[in-house]
Amino acid sequence: MITFEAVTKRYPDGTVAVDALDLEIPDGKTVVLVGPSGCGKTTSLRMINRLIEPTEGTILLDGTDIRSRPPAQLRRGIGYVIQQAGLFPHRTIEDNIATVPVLNGWPRKKARDRAAELLTQVGLDPELAKRYPHQLSGGQQQRIGVARALAADPPVLLMDEPFSAVDPVVRASLQDQLLSLQAELRKTIVMVTHDIEEAIKVGDIVALFRPHGKIAQVASPEELLAAPVDDYVAGFVGFDRGIRRLSFFSTGALQLSQAPVLPADATVASARATSEPWILVTEPQSGGPRGWVSAGQLAGLPADAPLGQAPTEAGGHSFTVGTDSLRAALDAAVLSPAGQAVGLDGDRRVLGVASFDQLRAAIQAAEVERVTEHDRALQEEPRP
Amino acid sequence: MMWSWIPQNGSLIWTLTLANAKLGVLAAVFGLIISLPLGILAARWRWFSAPVLTVVTVAYAIPSLALFIALIPAFGLTDTTVIIALTVFSLCVILPNVIAGLQGVPAPVKQAATAMGYGPVRRLLTVELPLAVPVIIAGLRIAVVAGISLASIGQLIGVSSLGYLFIDGLQRSFPTEIWVGLVLIIVLALVCDLILVSIRWALTPWARS
Repeated sequence: MITFEAVTKRYPDGTVAVDALDLEIPDGKTVVLVGPSGCGKTTSLRMINRLIEPTEGTILLDGTDIRSRPPAQLRRGIGYVIQQAGLFPHRTIEDNIATVPVLNGWPRKKARDRAAELLTQVGLDPELAKRYPHQLSGGQQQRIGVARALAADPPVLLMDEPFSAVDPVVRASLQDQLLSLQAELRKTIVMVTHDIEEAIKVGDIVALFRPHGKIAQVASPEELLAAPVDDYVAGFVGFDRGIRRLSFFSTGALQLSQAPVLPADATVASARATSEPWILVTEPQSGGPRGWVSAGQLAGLPADAPLGQAPTEAGGHSFTVGTDSLRAALDAAVLSPAGQAVGLDGDRRVLGVASFDQLRAAIQAAEVERVTEHDRALQEEPRP
Repeated sequence: MMWSWIPQNGSLIWTLTLANAKLGVLAAVFGLIISLPLGILAARWRWFSAPVLTVVTVAYAIPSLALFIALIPAFGLTDTTVIIALTVFSLCVILPNVIAGLQGVPAPVKQAATAMGYGPVRRLLTVELPLAVPVIIAGLRIAVVAGISLASIGQLIGVSSLGYLFIDGLQRSFPTEIWVGLVLIIVLALVCDLILVSIRWALTPWARS
């Protein structure tokens, strides 16, 4: 656990970068510091490993003042990932990753074995071990940066805008990688970003800073979207927070209807019998979705013809029931010509479709559940 | 050209070549030895780099012969006088490169090294200096080539070098000797340069591809 106690950083010219910051970073959680440039988020991060010394206040690491250890020793126990990866250009990938183990006196062989293991863990080919950083893409370099930070297995990982220098597609895959690593490793991560989307995606807790080093709100991403404390937070979080918040609601309890779903070998007559305006045609063998066909398109076909003969319209994308969020389901409904989201199981078989009405019901049910959970959590909190 | 003159005077030519090489190479080596600590300090403290660079630039403007003459009262007509003067000139090209090489180490790399737990000395020796090697060697190459060529002027104060062949050839109106001296200085400079390029190649496997 990392604790900031009334930490202030004031520069000689009078600028206050961080203003009496109190913050607790629990073990095994990802806490994202987010805010506009000049809000003190990076300064706060760098005070944890003493790259910057606070003017006032105390930072505790597991209850011990970080100033009680020499900086170099403290830093070897704290992983650090920076924006441009900051790899050593003159060292091979494996030696880059092995940096901290070698500093800690591991034999080179053991350190290199550890590097090979980490290469795989961050999703890279161990063949890259003997290359030099400039031979890798930006995204690969950033993965090496993460591997290097993890090499000595530090309990704490600091990440200073780690993914901001790569393109959006690579960034998304790096974020996914981090989420899956974190699910496995349960490190205490402090990440700095100016990208609220990134904060919401990877954070367990988001600390949103105001300009000049004051915290505006510390909350779970979902709470931040649902209940911003003021206009500043609401403005920073963005205008479509209502929809974005649906990312945290499961589709597990969503009601699906099977009525408009028919296999391609069913007859046109059976489709007409449903009196649905749109029919979702599925593949007879796999049960996967083929596309939507409207009642109008069926009008010209003989009653005993198979549905597969009718031209179908692609249905936007679909969502996986239970895995994807209500946001994905709502998006699928918006994109569908029939205004209905196609729900699939893990093997991409159609389970049913959900209309806007069904989605709205699911959203309301989820809201109610959230509120009850929140109340329960409040009641369980020990009173002083 | 009198080709037969060359084998007849083989041992003289060889001795002069070695003497010339020694003057030029030693001056560059001393220049490097002095430049490293000065450059490290100048790269660390910005206020120190401006005066240091001004001094070496002014020193570079001194004519070599004038510097030789200025040093004679203290060191006489000796190798020392020539080596000191040439060292001053080599400093002028090596020191700015040491500073530039160290300042050219990318900030994220330095920051990462510190954040990984390198102390300042270890960071300098294992991260910053290795990364500055290509720029430092670039300065060293110019210093060595210039030093070898300038060393011949030492002959004017009686210090042995390939410059002997120029003066002797001129006095005897014997062009062969002058040509031999000229070609040897160029060959010597090229050989030394090749050695430095090989050293750089060996020290910077990371910069090869």
